[in-house]
Amino acid sequence: MPDLHPAAARAGPLSAGGRGTYPRSLLEREPSLGLLLMLPGTLLLVIFMAYPFFLGLWLSLTDSMIGHAGRFVGLLNFVNLINDSIFRQTARNTFIYALVTVPFKLVLGLGLALVLNTRIPFRNAIRAGVLMPFIVPTALSSLGWLMLFDPIFSPFSWLLKHWGLITRNINFLGTPVLAIVSVMIANIWRGTPFFAITILAGLQAVPAELHDAAAIDGAGAWQRFWNVTVPIILGVMLVSTLFSIIMTFADFQLIYVLTKGGPANETHIFGTYAYQIGLSATAIGQGAAIALYMFPVLAALAILLLRYLRREVA
Amino acid sequence: MAKAQRGRRVRRPSKRSHGERSGREGALRISRRALLKVAGAGALGLTALGTVPGLWRWGGAAPAQLKGTSLSILQATYFIPTAQDLYKKQAAEWGQGQGVTVNTDFLNWPDLQPKISAAIQAGGYDIVELFPGWNYLYAENLLDLTDLADAVAKKGGGWEGFVANDIKVNGRYLGVSHGNSNDALNYRISWLKEVGVNLPDPAEQARTGKILDLTFDEWFALGKKLKAKGHPLGQALGHSQGDPPSFCYPYMWSNGAMEVEKDGKTVAFNKPMFVDAMKRFIQAYKDGFDESGPSWDDSSNNKAFHAGQLSMTLNGSSIYAVALKDFPEIAQDMNHTLIPKGPAGRFSLLGARTFAILKNSKNVAGAKEFLAWWFDDKQYGDWIHIQGGYQLPSTKKWAKDPMWGKDPKMYAFSLQPSIGRDQGWAGPPNAKSGLAFSKYIMVDTFAKAVQSGDAAGSIKWGADQLQAIYGG
Repeated sequence: MPDLHPAAARAGPLSAGGRGTYPRSLLEREPSLGLLLMLPGTLLLVIFMAYPFFLGLWLSLTDSMIGHAGRFVGLLNFVNLINDSIFRQTARNTFIYALVTVPFKLVLGLGLALVLNTRIPFRNAIRAGVLMPFIVPTALSSLGWLMLFDPIFSPFSWLLKHWGLITRNINFLGTPVLAIVSVMIANIWRGTPFFAITILAGLQAVPAELHDAAAIDGAGAWQRFWNVTVPIILGVMLVSTLFSIIMTFADFQLIYVLTKGGPANETHIFGTYAYQIGLSATAIGQGAAIALYMFPVLAALAILLLRYLRREVA
Repeated sequence: MAKAQRGRRVRRPSKRSHGERSGREGALRISRRALLKVAGAGALGLTALGTVPGLWRWGGAAPAQLKGTSLSILQATYFIPTAQDLYKKQAAEWGQGQGVTVNTDFLNWPDLQPKISAAIQAGGYDIVELFPGWNYLYAENLLDLTDLADAVAKKGGGWEGFVANDIKVNGRYLGVSHGNSNDALNYRISWLKEVGVNLPDPAEQARTGKILDLTFDEWFALGKKLKAKGHPLGQALGHSQGDPPSFCYPYMWSNGAMEVEKDGKTVAFNKPMFVDAMKRFIQAYKDGFDESGPSWDDSSNNKAFHAGQLSMTLNGSSIYAVALKDFPEIAQDMNHTLIPKGPAGRFSLLGARTFAILKNSKNVAGAKEFLAWWFDDKQYGDWIHIQGGYQLPSTKKWAKDPMWGKDPKMYAFSLQPSIGRDQGWAGPPNAKSGLAFSKYIMVDTFAKAVQSGDAAGSIKWGADQLQAIYGG
């Protein structure tokens, strides 16, 4: 192992070690090894994230149609969208969709995590079961919700009619308010396990001694939760919330399967409207601009998230 | 053709008089250059044999260059499942005969267009099915199939009117039309009789030409009576490309409005007669329809009709076809009639659906060979017949096919082509009408109206959206 000798390493790749030792010395030097290890990830990011992003950015500045390279139009697509009533409705829907569902998912997820953190029978099996909504492909679970919300054959409507609580079927996806509420319910169902499992991981890091000490000092269950548990899991809750807002803003599958943005665009969010305009109506330039309207919000959230994580590490 | 004519010219007699041409001198004299021209024309003719329907050598030797290639076909899913199976079988048989691996994909109607858009950008399909108007949207990405389309039209006695209206883009055929699926008012005989409607005898319809003839106002009044008895009308108004627009466009036309005038620029949507008609529709939707329609897609009314929840609904004959197999008591108790009429007439949304070849296809030769073969009477005819009238053929000769007389309850569908109008009418079909259709402007106008109860506001919203498309 001559090239492991400090002298050989100091000699550098092109000197005494000769050509045969060059790759190995490259692996031993921390900066070059770091670069090498970063390379696969960087390539993946460039190919699957950076390239589509910059292509989308370029498309949003053109009047491109599908199969027809457009010309540069500057910010015209963005300006036109502000004057488009469907887009304004879409923006409103997206904010309502994200800002209503995330607090529900947080609270329900926290509750679920607290229950799962206690000693209950079949705890592991229940924990695995709780993850199901998150594990099942969204397109598949959305089809399940589509059946549950069926205007004619909904089991919910059938049950309520059977119990005499309603006289006619509930029009889950056919009226403006109920439609958005229904898709939000499905979103909350799907997203709650994410919060539950992440917060559960945080709860398990809470030292039992702290709870014991607080109990000895006379703290009740609520005080122990508020003054001991919450400060420790606050970071996890914050990170989960930011992640969830980002994912909810960028949602697509659930709405597409349930309503395709209907009725009368009442459930369109950025993702579904961008898809409709970009791929169905073939105005790919304008579709890209719709999708990019999400970018400032998502970027701000991502920066917040990264700053928090950096502070935690420091 | 020009080359063939040039070839014929070489056969002209020489300028010598007839009496002078005798013996060797009187024989046809062909120069080497002329011989080459004749040979060239002959070769062209032989090549054409391979592409003109009816002359396709099924069972003969496959062109060597096709063997070992693959062909991918994308189209909308069928509401007559046996027809989808037949198409798959036909494609597989052709592939087997030619040594070509054929892949056929069928997509839910609203998912078809995005998939085609993706295929245009990234490849993956050779033949795609286009709904009306898409040949204009994708014009730059489709292969010119004028020769094949002309041959199919000639052999079929010319295009049906609803096809001829919209399949030529700048004078070229960018696909070959297979026609379109049908659409009419499906109704339950016993329930209509229950509220006092005098119905024609289904068995006599074709002979007498008498079908249940309704105006929209009469239909709405009927709906009120039927709903009171627990049998509402059904009309989808969700984001779907079949049933919702099939009602909304004709209702607009029947009440004196249109997306755009003949000039293709002047939006003529916000008309007082249409606003009044929309007010009547809003009231009728409460009184006579199942009000969950704004969330329905193309399959919702089929399911509801089969479940005995609806008395009348606009749909293709797929409801009837499935009922014949799975719900015989409903099939027995149902019949069809044309969509109702309004003050401005009776219309049906009916454009041409086509099979087109993408320019980025990796197997253009195979795609052309397949389409030429499939549009032959044998294959196309089998495909038409198995659908029992659900598919309206693209050429005129099929209008007299015995298929139409087989089941008297299908009679109304044979009348539909005569009232067919394409989306965007009275303007010319083009990319703008396709864009308005893809954005569901018409359907959303109606959905907004029934949800908000504001006829004038909803129509104004639709007119503004159309102005942005047609006037922009």
